[in-house]
Amino acid sequence: MRTKSILTEAKQIERAVTLINLGARLQVLESETDLSYERLLRLYKEVAGKSPSKGQLPFSTDWFMTWQPNIHASLFLNIHEYLNKVAELDEIDTIIKAYQLYQEQTTAQGLEVLLSVTRAWRLVKFVDNGMLTLTACSRCGGHFVTHPHEIAKHYVCGLCQPPARAGKGAGVGAITLGSSRTSSGKASVFGDLDSNLEPCDLLAATGAEALVGQPKKNSSSLLASRR
Amino acid sequence: MNAEHILSEIREANLSYLMLAQSLIRTDRDQALYRLGISEDSAAMIDMLTPAQMMKIASGNTLLCRFRMDDDMVWSLLTNHGKAAANDTTSRLHASILMAGRHREAA
Repeated sequence: MRTKSILTEAKQIERAVTLINLGARLQVLESETDLSYERLLRLYKEVAGKSPSKGQLPFSTDWFMTWQPNIHASLFLNIHEYLNKVAELDEIDTIIKAYQLYQEQTTAQGLEVLLSVTRAWRLVKFVDNGMLTLTACSRCGGHFVTHPHEIAKHYVCGLCQPPARAGKGAGVGAITLGSSRTSSGKASVFGDLDSNLEPCDLLAATGAEALVGQPKKNSSSLLASRR
Repeated sequence: MNAEHILSEIREANLSYLMLAQSLIRTDRDQALYRLGISEDSAAMIDMLTPAQMMKIASGNTLLCRFRMDDDMVWSLLTNHGKAAANDTTSRLHASILMAGRHREAA
């Protein structure tokens, strides 16, 4: 057995802690560090304050093909590729840094962080193994996650040409299409207010309150007229 | 705006850009490369600047940072032009994907 360097070990523990804080599953830690299972388990409990979730990792490439996950995955992978090109980092550090940037961007825009760090790690592995790849959209030129043998000439991404029922969900933090003045507009405006309090959002929210206020008045006047 | 005013505004902008860039680079060099869209070499140079050097570089008649969205597609997504169907958040997300895909400008 080779003698372990304490410095390397310290670096690996630091890495593992970062990954645990990002919400990585134990399998990711096992594969990316040389620390033993027992030590990782102890570390996990110490950092996260609970036992790691059990069970298999999500292993399907299909998840990345569905509309919303595909957009999130594409954003992450583009950042990852960028860092891969400009910075000389270990593979796992690239994933960590790209994931932090992705997380930052989605939360800043009031979106749910749909891609977990475990999925992000799987995605990079899938791309390394040639099971998934990035294909340029023929309309906007952006690079999106696709299966490897996509016909690049005719590929159009999910944002240039959303599928029929995409973006209609009313969930808070979901990617939506269409202006927010639809029937679900109220909910989404208040969702924004909860998630990030930027001055412009506050303005929008006060504006929305004025809008929301009106129907209430109407209904009370209706009640009054009924009386 | 008279000439003197323009020069002082440019110096202000340059100085705050350089200071921000330097602190980003010192916090996390690799993420700073992504955020700033600059090459490793430029980052190394900015990292080593002393305050006095910074003042000297900042006071010129040109801006030190460049406009990064020199592309119709990204620009129209960010300003929401011509595409009434998509909403603001989605367009911004689309723009971020496109911008993240550009490594050529950095390399």
